[in-house]
Amino acid sequence: MAGVQVANVSRSFGAHKALDDVSIDFADGGFYALLGPSGSGKTTLLRQIAGFDFPDTGRIAIGGESVERVPVEKRRIGMVFQNYALFPNMSVADNVAFGLSVRGEPKATIATEVQRALDLVQLGKLGGRKPHQLSGGQRQRVALARAIVTKPRVLLLDEPLGALDKALRVDMQIELKRIQREIGITTIFVTHDQEEALTMSDRIGILRDGRLVQEGPPEEIYDRPQSEFAATFLGDANIFRGDATGSGIKLPDGTTIKASTGASVPAGTKASCAVRPERIQISTGAGMPDAGGANVLKGKVSKRIFAGNNSTYFVDRDGQTLKVIVQNTGAERLAEGQPVVLNWSPDSTVLIAG
Amino acid sequence: MADQLAIASRRGLRPALPLLLPAYLWLTVAIFLPLSAMVFFSFMTDLPLAGKEWAFTLGNYAAFFSQSLYSRLLLSSLRLGLEVTLWCIVIGYPAAYVLAKVLKGRSREAIFLLVILPFWSNGLVRIFSWAMVLREGGILDTALNAVLPFKINIDLMYSYPAVIIGLVHSYVPYMVLTCYLTLQAIDDSLIEAGRSLGASRRQVLWRVIIPLSMPGLIAGSALIFVPVVGSFMEQRILGGRTGTFYGTVIEDQFVAVFNWPLGAALSFILLAVVLIILALAAPVLRRAG
Amino acid sequence: MATTRILEWLGRFYIVLLLAFLYLPIIIMAAMSFNASPFYQLPFEWTTDWYQSLWQNDQLIAATWNSIEIAVITTLISTVLGSMASLALYRYEFRGKRLLQALLFPPIAIPWLITGTAMLIFFFGVGIGRGLIAILLGHVALALPYVIVVVSARLQTFAPELEEAARSLGANQWQVTMRVTLPWIMPGVIAGGLFAFAVSFDQFVVSYFLSTPGQTTLPVEIYAAIRKGFTPEINAVSTIIIAVSMALMLLTARFFKFGGEK
Repeated sequence: MAGVQVANVSRSFGAHKALDDVSIDFADGGFYALLGPSGSGKTTLLRQIAGFDFPDTGRIAIGGESVERVPVEKRRIGMVFQNYALFPNMSVADNVAFGLSVRGEPKATIATEVQRALDLVQLGKLGGRKPHQLSGGQRQRVALARAIVTKPRVLLLDEPLGALDKALRVDMQIELKRIQREIGITTIFVTHDQEEALTMSDRIGILRDGRLVQEGPPEEIYDRPQSEFAATFLGDANIFRGDATGSGIKLPDGTTIKASTGASVPAGTKASCAVRPERIQISTGAGMPDAGGANVLKGKVSKRIFAGNNSTYFVDRDGQTLKVIVQNTGAERLAEGQPVVLNWSPDSTVLIAG
Repeated sequence: MADQLAIASRRGLRPALPLLLPAYLWLTVAIFLPLSAMVFFSFMTDLPLAGKEWAFTLGNYAAFFSQSLYSRLLLSSLRLGLEVTLWCIVIGYPAAYVLAKVLKGRSREAIFLLVILPFWSNGLVRIFSWAMVLREGGILDTALNAVLPFKINIDLMYSYPAVIIGLVHSYVPYMVLTCYLTLQAIDDSLIEAGRSLGASRRQVLWRVIIPLSMPGLIAGSALIFVPVVGSFMEQRILGGRTGTFYGTVIEDQFVAVFNWPLGAALSFILLAVVLIILALAAPVLRRAG
Repeated sequence: MATTRILEWLGRFYIVLLLAFLYLPIIIMAAMSFNASPFYQLPFEWTTDWYQSLWQNDQLIAATWNSIEIAVITTLISTVLGSMASLALYRYEFRGKRLLQALLFPPIAIPWLITGTAMLIFFFGVGIGRGLIAILLGHVALALPYVIVVVSARLQTFAPELEEAARSLGANQWQVTMRVTLPWIMPGVIAGGLFAFAVSFDQFVVSYFLSTPGQTTLPVEIYAAIRKGFTPEINAVSTIIIAVSMALMLLTARFFKFGGEK
């Protein structure tokens, strides 16, 4: 096992900068998600770590050993591909055995290791099948068994669950996490699914246009996004833009929004505030105590979407539409067109440098 | 995106070279150098062999342009190519349509294979088989006289129609193949949509199906026209005395008259004609292929 | 709907007519090889004499062996070289790749009369001359583009991730090729090989210009015989040739779908 260090890695394809000075430290045994929209460079980064492609500049180290010029076959990594890339001409057991076999391991060792790996992914009895006789979830498990049977230093997953349907995906998320814990391998996985990133990983790196936007534990990124992009890409957020006041921002119409988390921005410069929709309370305003210190805005419900356990209100306010999510507690529901009052605590407001 | 990345990591001619070199070297020695040598020879008075005197000359090309025989033969070869191509369209297109749109499943696969199978069998032997059918006292003659109440003499052998029949037989599978491929790609719902909009069968055929299958028709035509213009064996066997065409004249220069420089010049002129035709058809061929 | 039915049956009938046009001459020619009359006269009288007399025709037998030998060697060389080139064209991206692919078409598209006479001139000029070596050189060149096209078509269905997966598991380039890529493209390689064999075995025009009286192939020998006059012996040998080449193509079809369907 080993950690992975990526330091100042850049890679261009022609005029296109796929990676621009990216540095991340993947600690030994951690479970990392690289999250970003398509074209953000997350797959390029994964391929640099795997060794399919080499960086123009920068350093990559696995277990402290510099590998940025080492080709993939010599890096001792395990990789699971988006479409699984199971060898169609080989049985499940031969697929899993491939990595050991090309290393010239003795047959007996291969057989026991393959069985152990197949047992680990709960496919112990299917070794004789061909890949095309398996379901999507089973193929996924074979791909995983094949990648870990060689005891790689790091496990790389390229959108591993993207091809599965929703229900199966949740099962596999749990399964993947179990296996990763069991063997304790450093795992880096690429996804564009924010929910997957939030539920599975110890740390998340968000990429955009080849740059690392923010990196940290899921809770930290969700609660304290450092950019509008991070705020809106990971989860939902209402964004207010204005001038920094030192304790919040002042909107163009004069309203002030107080924020007590996030960056410290010198007064007078451009800044924005992000508020998660579920942190906002919505009411008709009647009988509401004057909440000292809370942010208060007036608006009108333009649309309500009922989703069973919660409702989403779209509230129009001075040309801006705000989103509010309310848990279904049985309280009275607000009608479309109704004037409402929104309030939320400055603790729930993140200040972002503009 | 992923594909681009995969390719980007395998840039460069150097790793590809050892794999490419043997095949392309062979093609160079056996195809491209000979074609260049032919151009070179076509400007010579005689073969530079066995100490013979030779000089550069334009005479071989002058012969083509001054003696109307050669240009007339080239024209008649072009006409032959055109006629054979037209017959192949008339016969092959409907067959391709039936294969693509009427027949289904296994029977379609089997019949398709049956239709194109002769194309891949020995052409010389197939031309010879027509000699069996067409000659006087041959099968066609005998069969017709057995059926008809009056005596007729069918002797198509050694005639222009015999050459046409033999060549159409040789090349019609090509037209079926290319048209079948484009017709098969036409979604049936387009035809149904046309009908639902009130178009008659005929209108759907002319305004939907034929325009959409044009690439197949053009590809097939080019692939038939070109070899027919350069054919000579078919004329020799089925055409007899009437079988003098541009191809047979070139053959003569090499195997009978031994005027290789003239043969080379005539070949090169043919090559130029062929290349022009292929260049005209190239955009369509590229899309179809 | 009744009209549709009728049209469909007309269509089927038309296909039957076309098949008759395509196959009847061949069947008649084959039938005549079993007819006793040396002048193809009816009534039909069964005999296998013409096949037996083939065994006495040393010239024809020698030409047949030449044809088979050249076809086998052509198949081996063009399959190996062609598959290598296909792999390179599939795996690597480089300047001039499109040109290399375009260069495959002249040998297929230029009439064999032109290629054949050009080879004759060039091989004479450089001292190779005519004969079996020259024929072999020419056949491989004609077969190579077919092999490359067929193998490349098969490679199009190969997912590049499979090679990457193999490499990520520690396989070197040779192991990747032999254990992952080659097994997948094998049907294409076999089909390409069968194509190459057929191209060579059926080749007449190029062999015709490159052969000498002692060093010739079966189709050239048949052509010479036809031009001297028809005999049922020619029918017999033609029947054998056409049976062999059709069987070969049926075999090829098992490995390679011409229609490219599904």
